[in-house]
This record gives sequence, structure tokens and C-alpha cells, in this order.
Amino acid sequence: MKSSSQRLILDFITYILLAIGAVAMILPFIWMMSVSLRLPANQFSREIIPNPLTWQNYVELWEKLPDQAYPYLLFNSLKISLLTLIGQVLTCAMAAFAFAVVKFRGRELLFALLLATLMIPSQVSLIPDFILFKYMNLIGTQWPLILPAFWGGAFGTFLLRQYFLTIPRDLVDAARMDGASLWDIFWRIYMPLSRPAIAALAIFSFKDTWNDLLHPLVYLPSDMHQTTMTVGLAFFQQQLQMGGKFTVLMAGAFLSILPLLILFFIAQRQFIEGIALSGVKR
Amino acid sequence: MKTKLFTLILVACLLLAACGGAATSPAPASATQAPTQPGAGAAPAVEINYMMFGAPEELEVWQKVVDDFHAANPNIKVKVDVSDWDSYWTKLNTLVAGGNPPDAFAMDAPLFLDWQSRGALLNLKPYIDQTPGFLDGFYPQTLKAYELPDGYYGLPRDFQTIVVFYNKEMFDAAGVPYPSPDWTYDDLRQIAKKMTLDKDGDGKIDQYGFYADLWDMELFWSEAIWAFGGEIVSTDHTKTLIGEPNARKAWELIDSMLKDGSIPSPATAGEYGEDLFQSKVAAMAPIGHWAVPGYVGAGIKMGVAPMPVGPSGRATSVNSAGFVVSKDSKNPEAAWEFIKFALSEAGQKRLAELGFALPVLQAVANSPSYLQQSGELDQKLFLDALEYAHMKPVFRGYEEWASVVGDGLAPVWDGAAELNPTLDEVVPQADEILAQNQ
Amino acid sequence: MDYGLRPLGRERLWLWGLLFPTLIGLAFGTIGSLLATLLLSFFSWDLIAPPRWAGLANYIALVENDAYLKAFTNTITFTALYVPGVVIFSLLVAVLLNRKIRGVSLFRTVYFLPTVTSAVATALVWNMFYGKDTGLLNFTLESLGLAPVCWLCRENAMMSVVIVNVWGAIGEGMIIFLAGLTAIPREYYEAATVDGASNLQQFFKITLPLITPSIFFQTLISAINAFQAYDYIYMLTRRGQGDSTVPVAVFSIYRNAFNFFKMGAASAQAIQLALLVALFMGLLFIFERRYVVYE
Repeated sequence: MKSSSQRLILDFITYILLAIGAVAMILPFIWMMSVSLRLPANQFSREIIPNPLTWQNYVELWEKLPDQAYPYLLFNSLKISLLTLIGQVLTCAMAAFAFAVVKFRGRELLFALLLATLMIPSQVSLIPDFILFKYMNLIGTQWPLILPAFWGGAFGTFLLRQYFLTIPRDLVDAARMDGASLWDIFWRIYMPLSRPAIAALAIFSFKDTWNDLLHPLVYLPSDMHQTTMTVGLAFFQQQLQMGGKFTVLMAGAFLSILPLLILFFIAQRQFIEGIALSGVKR
Repeated sequence: MKTKLFTLILVACLLLAACGGAATSPAPASATQAPTQPGAGAAPAVEINYMMFGAPEELEVWQKVVDDFHAANPNIKVKVDVSDWDSYWTKLNTLVAGGNPPDAFAMDAPLFLDWQSRGALLNLKPYIDQTPGFLDGFYPQTLKAYELPDGYYGLPRDFQTIVVFYNKEMFDAAGVPYPSPDWTYDDLRQIAKKMTLDKDGDGKIDQYGFYADLWDMELFWSEAIWAFGGEIVSTDHTKTLIGEPNARKAWELIDSMLKDGSIPSPATAGEYGEDLFQSKVAAMAPIGHWAVPGYVGAGIKMGVAPMPVGPSGRATSVNSAGFVVSKDSKNPEAAWEFIKFALSEAGQKRLAELGFALPVLQAVANSPSYLQQSGELDQKLFLDALEYAHMKPVFRGYEEWASVVGDGLAPVWDGAAELNPTLDEVVPQADEILAQNQ
Repeated sequence: MDYGLRPLGRERLWLWGLLFPTLIGLAFGTIGSLLATLLLSFFSWDLIAPPRWAGLANYIALVENDAYLKAFTNTITFTALYVPGVVIFSLLVAVLLNRKIRGVSLFRTVYFLPTVTSAVATALVWNMFYGKDTGLLNFTLESLGLAPVCWLCRENAMMSVVIVNVWGAIGEGMIIFLAGLTAIPREYYEAATVDGASNLQQFFKITLPLITPSIFFQTLISAINAFQAYDYIYMLTRRGQGDSTVPVAVFSIYRNAFNFFKMGAASAQAIQLALLVALFMGLLFIFERRYVVYE
């Protein structure tokens, strides 16, 4: 029997454990902010709140960036990440449904083949993919960065398939008896019920594209107005790192993750809350 | 209705994607037959791209060079693409392997043969011959790396010699006299020891006497080996000679400095960024002119001294960054015009303003553009170093060879292995690489 | 596994429609990565001249190449340490966060933070933490009277790198497990409580079996990530041009492909890595058959 005092103790332990972990999770970010606001001479000092507090590192970084490159970098990253998100969610969900719910010959084999594409590191497939895009005459555009998202993906399909498999079969059987088509079952039953997994995929897809350095590097010109944030910042990081200018480096690092953080905070109420809500629905 | 949502998403997608297709660079890398500019000559406009590695500041100056060039050659447009070192090679290799090489690009001299021997580069001899006396103004040592029996497959863009920088403030504070021009390696060791200090008495070293990158030979160990009478590889590039007795004496000196604590181990160095002289944690550092803008920017009051004298004399390393043209370039003439301009006095003067490297044209090097750039440094010292400079080795398989040696010796610098046994292991492995690349 | 609807008549087309994008991607991906890599591993290609046939030379070289062997062993060690770390910790966090306590959403956000940000950016901070003389971690140890650790020296580099990678992945696993945990109907727990089952019993008899699909997924994905781990390791342990105190397989592959002009060797290494991953996948799928519970 769960007495209320038992509950209290459990809750207390839960809080303690979570709090310790939370500190570990967030400390690097707090430190990053802290160092970025310090004078270079104090970069190794121990206090969290810098004294004196200065914005000069951000100013220095801003001045280094050629004519307002930051908004362009931001826009490019945003656009490409958003498009890939949409592509991934749609095509992976479609495929995941097929793999999880529909019976067809060769299903297991096809799925295994799909998973196999995960096994090759992206650095290796960089050159063969480049050659393929060259034959399609897409070099010099942003398409090589966007198109692959619309061809499904092993990770996303796998993720959603696992989730789809947990949805009770009786729902499907009932829908079938009511005369629902495959598409109906997909779009009206599985998709709404899978919000947590879809949200997870959306977040993963967005941040993976956002943080990708290799592909924009190779497919986009290094021109600060046409490339993404990751490429732009890599360009500056090398020099800063050489000189051990950690305060400016941290400012740069913070600027590079700031857009993602903001987006995440805005979206997380929609998405992560959705995880809890959908549990109740059942 | 759910289907409405679906169509909405699709439409939004298509719209965004349409933006994606449009808002990118207008044309692929090679020639574009753009309409002739009004009032220009009969020649159609041509666009070439030039890829290089460098720092953000270099991009600005190169853009100026390109603008000057465009003013003189209105029908040639040059797109400059600058990346940091790591990104550069990834991108370049992918573009070349994918069949989309840049028209002109920057080459690091030691890697030159790897590219040339694989047929990726254009022989510039025909163009050079069209301009008699073109190479006369160059420092001959800089041309050697790119010279082959049948011509020049590249040309040096600028060059670097290694000298020892020292932090005047640190020396003044410690009451130690600055390194004198005829100092020896023993002097170096002594001075470095004196300049390695625990300033706040907490048991940890706060200031190192000497910081040197021990992985890349160019910074310190090749010079040391030469000064002790050793060699790096045999002239026919078949044997690794860094394990020979004279070379070992040089290694032992380096090892002793590490054991003295005056050179920080790579792990410690990583704590302070990569260049401890720039982060004001080291009192001396052997490095080239490329570091000067960064040091000036860090506000370091510095002086330079030539590399110390070893038992076999004085030695330093000379290296260069070069221009190469891709053999598959669709506009080799335009690429050549650009290179010619950058190597002319006008171009070299602009680049000397940069302060990153030394001009390859003797006239420019000896002119105020170079000698009186900002920062009170003895600029002439870098030029004089050419007299006792050895060329940084260039051979096929250089990168892999350097990795075997650099990676192999790293445990010694981390204090995890002994010097001589490790050398015994590394040399045959290095020979392997040389053998594979004959 | 014999589940699923049979498509009726015209629904065949729908099936094709659903799979069509993925099939294209597969074609591209299979050609682009698998086939090309497999083919190239039998050739010698320096990226410039046309590839030359090399037969099994690249594979034989694998066994003799000390640098690659070291990288390979490091990868296996890393995976063995990383996967359990991520799965266990993220499951723990998810279970804790699944309880109805206040401030849950704040915690969820905080735990997800490391995953959202780029490894390149956060590795810079960890570099500062790990500094032997200047780092925060050693400072804390010393103030507690303990001896400082050389985190990034050869002896400890592997562990340090595993810690950072696990730190960065807990959020991802947490989300996966949370999604799986919320799919478990509350009625099960309520019924169990009525029957007198303790919390621990409920965990082992209800929770654990019903999230085996998520455990399966997370283990597999973590393993794949571990085999291909690169970013944090690169930023923290880099020495010289591409060397590292903890070289892992992808280091070796990358250098061979982009620095040594040995695309064939890089491909062979990639194939070997892929085979290892496939082996692991196969084992996991056997596990799936036996232990994973789908409703």
C-alpha cells in the first residue's frame, strides 16, 4: 500500500537525484555563458558570475564577421533545417507505417537493408553522394542538403516503426471493420497517436541538420552569405582556438547554439508537453 | 480536416524549397558565358574560382587583391573561397574527387608532390615561357619546391621561415637577458629553464619557457635535427633518417627540455589553446610570420631571434604556400592571369600588407611594404633566415609519413614512452610509407 | 514476426506510395554509401586518377596497419563503455521524470539541453573543465582535498571522452524512453497496485517488459553512434594534424580518405566497421525476437 509518507520520501529522493543530474547537465552552458562575459585575463577564474562583467567578447566576434553575416548564416541554417524536418517526418512516418502495420513480401529484408545504410559513417559516403549529385547537376545549389530528407531515413523510420508497433492492433482491426483505407488508418489513427515519437523525430532531425558541418561545407560556397552557421563559425574558431582566446571562443560557441536553444524553448512546450498528454489520452 | 493540414504542409514545403533553389550561388564552378559588360572588349566574361585556406583576416585582403585584379581585367571575375585548414582539405578533396575542382587553389608545399604526381595539376611552364623573366624576381629557394624536370606545376605564393619569438615583458620581469643572435641550443635550454616559473606559488607551472608544436616538424624538430648535423629523409626519399645518431642528439635535447618542464606536454598545451605564446603562457616560441598578426592583436611586446646554433651550425625551415591550377580547369588562361597578378609587385605589395607571410618577390620583400608593416619587429630577420634555411621536405606520401612520425612520437612527449625505443619503432614504420610511395 | 494488415486490391498502390520516397532514398543510399564503399574497398583510389583494382589488398592491410588496429580497439572499448552508460542513465532519468512530480517539464528541458546543442560548441567548455592545471573539475577535486586528475592524458582520455559523450546523449535517450513510458496505460499500474504489488515489482514486471521496444531501439542507435563517434573525441583529444590520444575508427577512416589519398583503404575500414555494426545489429535482433514485447 502506498502511504502518503512513502510517496513523499520517494518524491524527495527523486528530486535529489534529478537535481544532481540537472546540475551536471546545465553547468557547461552556464559556464559557457560565464566565460563569454569575462575579461580575457580572467578566463580561468573560478567564479560563476564574472566580475567585472563585459560584453567585449561578443563585440569582438561581431566585428570579425563580415558585413552582417550572422543573419544570413541564421537564415540558411533555419531554412535547411526546417525543410529537412518536414521531409523526414513525412517520409519516415509513411515508411514506418508500411513496415509496422502492413504485411508485404520482403518486408523484413527491406527493413534490414534500410538499417544497413546507417552503418557507413557519413564521411565515407560523402564522396559517392557528391558524385551522384554531380550527375544530377545539383552542385552549387542547396538541393543536395534538402533532397535526401525527402527520401526517408533509417533513423527516423526505425524510431517511428518502434513506436507504431506499440499501438494496439485492435484499433486497426476496428477501423478496418468500419471500412477505413490504409491511408485513413495511417493519417487518422497512427499519426495523431504518435505525437511524442513524431515530436522526438522532429527535434532530432532539426538539430542534426542544424549542427551538420560536413555537408554544407562541401556543397555550399564558403561565402558567409550563402553558407550555414556551422561552417561560418568553424572558420573563426580555428584562429581563436590557436590563441587560447577562450572568452571569445565561448562567445562564438554560445552564439552558435543560441538559435537552437531559443527554438527549443519555444517548441518544447508544444512537443515535450505532448508526451505527457498523449499518455493520458490512452 | 486532416487532409487540409497535409496539403498545407506540402505547399509550404514547396514554397520554401523553391526559395532554396533560387537563393543560392548562381552558377557552377567553371566558366559562365555571362553577357558582356557594356563597353567592355570583345572577350566574354569569365568566372573562375580560387580556393584557399586561411584566417578571416586573410579573406579581407584577398578580396582587395581580387578587386584590384578585376579593375585591371574587367572580363575576369574571381570568386575567393576561404576556409580554415581542416575544412579546406575536406572540401578540396571532395570537390576534386567529385569531378568539380576549383580553377585555382592553394597548396601547402610539402603536399605538392602528392597532388602533382597524381596528375591533378596543370603545368604552368607554357604560360611562364610566354612571360620571359617572370621568375627572375623570385627568391630561388621558394621556387625549388614546385620545380620539376618538365616545368612548374605550381608557383609559390608567399613563404615562411621559422624564427624564435620571445616575450619581452616576461624576460624583463624575470630579469633574464634577451636571447642573443649567436645563442646555442644549450643556451636555449638554460634560458627556457630560467623562464619556466610558478609565479603564484601554488605548485603548478604558470609560465613555460618554450612552447613548440612537436608534431609538425616545421616548427622545431626539423631545425634541431639539421642543426645537429642530421637529415630528415634521404635525398631520394627512400630512407627515413630521423633515427640516425646526429638526429638522435637533437631528439635528446628536445626530450631533456620536456623533462626540465620548460616545454609543456601536448596535453598541458591543449589546456591553454594551441599557441601558448599567443595566450601569454610561454616566454618563447619558434614559429613563422603567419603568427604575427595574431600576436600583435594579442598585444604582446615581442622580439625575434634567429634559431639557435647547433653543433653543425644554424638551421631553420623554409616553407611556402603555393598557387596551383587544376588540370581540369575550364579557364586555365584566366586562372593564370589571376596568379600572374597576385605574383606581380602590385599583388605582392597588397599581400605584404596582410603581414601573414613573406613576399616571394625580392623587390617587394626589401621594400617598405614588407619591412615597415605594423608591429615593431625586426622584419629583416625573417628574410635573412633564408641564408641558413633548409627546405621543408616534399615527397609523395608526406602526410601519411608525417602522421606515422608525429603520432608515433606523441606518447614520448606525453611522458608515456621512452624516446630511443620509440624512435626504433617509428623509423621502420615511416620507411614503410616511403616504400609504398616510390 | 507475423503481424500486419494485408493490403486489399487497390491498396497495393497506397503501399507503394507510402514506401516510394524511402525506396528512392534506399537506392541513393545503397548506391551512395553501401555499394560505392564496398566497391571502392576492392580498389585503390587516390581521389584524382581513376581507381585501380586492388583485390583484397586493402583488407589484408587492415590487419597489418597498426594505426587502424589501435583505432579499431579503441572504438570497441568506447562502445562497450558508452552504450550501457547511455541506456542505463537515460532510462533512469526517464523513469524518474515519468512520476507525477512538480517541475517535471523544467527538468525535461534541462536534461535535453546537451543533446540539442552542437558537440563542437560544448566540447570547448568540456575542454576547459578537463584542464589539468586550470580546469574546473580539478579545482573541485582539490578543494575537496582530493588529488587532481589528468583527464585528457593518455591513461584517462578514454574515460573522459566517454563521460562527455554520455552526457551529451542522455537527453536523446530520455526522450525515447519517455515516449515509450507514456505509452504504457495507467490501468496496468493501477491494477497492479490494487493487487498489492510494490513499486519495484511494478517496475520489473510492468515497466521493463513494456519498454523493451524502446530499449532495443536505444541500444541499437547508441551502438551505431558509438561506432561512428567523432565530434567530441575530435575536439577534446586532437593532437597535431588529425592524430588523437584516443583515435577511433572514424579518425582513421577520415584521414585515409582525406589526408592520405587512400580512399580504398578508408572504404575497407568502413566496411569492416559496418560488418561489426551489422554483427551487433544481428545479435540485437535475435534479442528482439526473444525479449522484446510488442502489444
